[in-house]
Amino acid sequence: MSMKQQEWISRSVAAGLALLWSVFILIPLYIMVMTALKTPVDLAANPFGLPHELTWGNFAKAWQDANLARAIRNSFILTASSIFLIVILGAMAAYPLARRTHWTAVTYYFLAAIMAPFQLAMLPLYRLMKALHLINTYHGIILIYVAISLPMAVFLYTGFIKGINTELEEAALVDGAGPFRMFWQVIFPLLKPVTSTVVIMNVLSLWNDFFIVLLYLPRQEMRTLQLAIFTFVGQYNRDYTLIMAAVILSIAPMIMLFLLLQKQFVAGIAGGAVKG
Amino acid sequence: MSALPPFLSKSARRTLGYDILFMLPALLVFTIFFIYPVLTSFPLSLTKWNGISPDYKFVGMRNFVRILSDRHFWQALENTFQYAILVTLLQNVIGLSLALAVTSKAHRPVRTLFLVPPLLSSIALGMIWSYMYRPDGAINGLLTLAGLENWTQNWLGDPNLALYALVVTNIWKWTGMSMIIYLAAILAIPQEIQEAASIDGVGVWQRFRHITFPLIAPAFTINIVLSMIGSLKVFDIIFIMTQGGPGRATESLTTYIFKRAFDAHKFGYAIAVAVVMFVIIMTLSLIQMRYLTRREVRA
Repeated sequence: MSMKQQEWISRSVAAGLALLWSVFILIPLYIMVMTALKTPVDLAANPFGLPHELTWGNFAKAWQDANLARAIRNSFILTASSIFLIVILGAMAAYPLARRTHWTAVTYYFLAAIMAPFQLAMLPLYRLMKALHLINTYHGIILIYVAISLPMAVFLYTGFIKGINTELEEAALVDGAGPFRMFWQVIFPLLKPVTSTVVIMNVLSLWNDFFIVLLYLPRQEMRTLQLAIFTFVGQYNRDYTLIMAAVILSIAPMIMLFLLLQKQFVAGIAGGAVKG
Repeated sequence: MSALPPFLSKSARRTLGYDILFMLPALLVFTIFFIYPVLTSFPLSLTKWNGISPDYKFVGMRNFVRILSDRHFWQALENTFQYAILVTLLQNVIGLSLALAVTSKAHRPVRTLFLVPPLLSSIALGMIWSYMYRPDGAINGLLTLAGLENWTQNWLGDPNLALYALVVTNIWKWTGMSMIIYLAAILAIPQEIQEAASIDGVGVWQRFRHITFPLIAPAFTINIVLSMIGSLKVFDIIFIMTQGGPGRATESLTTYIFKRAFDAHKFGYAIAVAVVMFVIIMTLSLIQMRYLTRREVRA
C-alpha cells in the first residue's frame, strides 16, 4: 500500500468514526427534545418522529410544577458561594506551599484526600453534620463542597504559583506592602488562568451534584435543581413529555455557559486532568 | 509566638506566622469536613450502630468477618469490577480513537458536540437513557425500524443486560471527556516530528505506534486512572436508573453501602464495606500509577 493510499484510508476511517459517534451522541438528545415538544397523545402515536404540532406548554408546566425558579436559585447560591470560597481558600493555602519547601508535609496531607473516596467519609460525616445541626442547611453543604474540592484546587494553584517569578512580590514587600496586600494585589491577579480552571471544574461537579444534596439536604424548600428534577420525575413518572421538558430546562444553564465559554471549558477540563 | 524555636529570627518567625494564617482556613475546613470523618470511619467500622441513636456498640472485627460470607457484598463487588473494567476499556479505546479522528481545526463543531454529554447531570442522563431503554423506547423502536425486531429487549429489566446497558450510558456521557484529554496531548506533539516521519516514509500505523502513542503516555495514565476510579465509585446513574436491580443485577459497592446504611440502618456494617472499598480502590490506583508511570519513563 502506498503512503497516499494509507493516508486516504486512515482519513476515511477517522471521518467514519467521528460521524458514527456523532450520530450516537445525537440520537438520545434528539429524542429528548422531540419528546418535550409533543403532547402525550402525539407521543404515544408517534414516539420517534417530529412532533405533530410544537407543544411549548410542557416547558411552562414543568417550570411551574417543579418550582424550577426556586431550585435554580438554590443551586446557584450553593455553587457560587462554594466556588468563591474554594478559590479564596485554595489560592491562599497554595501560596506558602509553593514558595517554601518546609511545608511539603501539608501538600501531602491535601493530596492524600484524592485517594480516599467520598463514600468513606459519607456516613461519619452524616453523624458530624447531625451533631453540628448542619443537616438541611446551605452552609453545611457549602462546607462539605469546599472541603472535598480544596485538595484539587490547592494542587493546581501550587503548581501554577511555582511557575511565577518571585521578583514582583519581593518588590511589593520592599515597598512596604504586608503579605496579605501583596498576595491579593500582586499574586492573585496573575492566577487568572488557573482560577478559571478551578472555577470550571467545580461548576461542573457542584452544579450537577446529586449525591451530597441527596444525603444532607433533604428538605423540600431547599431543594437544588438536581433534587427538584428527581422529585418531579417521581411525581410524573408516566408523562415523559413533561419529564423531558424539565430535563431540558435543567441542563440549559450549563449548556449555555459551555457554549459561551467553550475555550475556557476545554482548557479547564484538559488542564485540570493533565496536571492532576 | 513564643512557642517557636529560638533559633528563628524575628522576620523568619513573622513569615512562619503569616504562612500559617494563609493556610489555616483551608486546613480547618478540609480537616473537619473531610479528614476527620474519613479517620473516624475506621473506628466506626468496628461498631454496631444504627445511625440514629447516639450510642454504638463495639463489636471488633465482626463486621469484616461478616463481609467475607456476605454474598450480596460479593455480588456487588463483582458487578462493580465488571462495570469498571468495561467502562475503562471502552472509554479509552473509543476516546483515543475519536481524539485521533478529530485533530484538525475543521473538526471543532464535532468536538463541541462530543463535549455536550459530560455537561449533563446524572438526573438528566438517567432520565434520557431510562426512556431510551424502555421496552417501548427509542432503542427498540429503531431496531424495529431496521427490521431487527427480534433484537428488541427489555434492556433495564433483564438481569443479564442491565449492567451492560448502564455501561453504554456511562460511555455515552464520559467518552468526550477522555477524548479531550487525549486530544490536548496529541495537539501538544510538535507537528514537525509527524511531518518528518511522514516524509521519511513511515506508515500511518507505525507513526501512531512509535511517535504518537509514546508521547501521549501521561494522558494515557491520567485517563486510565480517572476512568477506573470514577467507575469503581459509580453511584448516581445506578441509583437513578435501576436502584441496583433487577434483583441485584446492577448493585454496586456504593449502592450497597447506601442501602445498608439508610434502608437497613446498619451504619457500622456499611462503613466497614466502605473501608473495604477504599482499600480496593487505593491498591488498584497505586498499582496502576506505578505500572503506567514506569511505562511513561521507558517511552
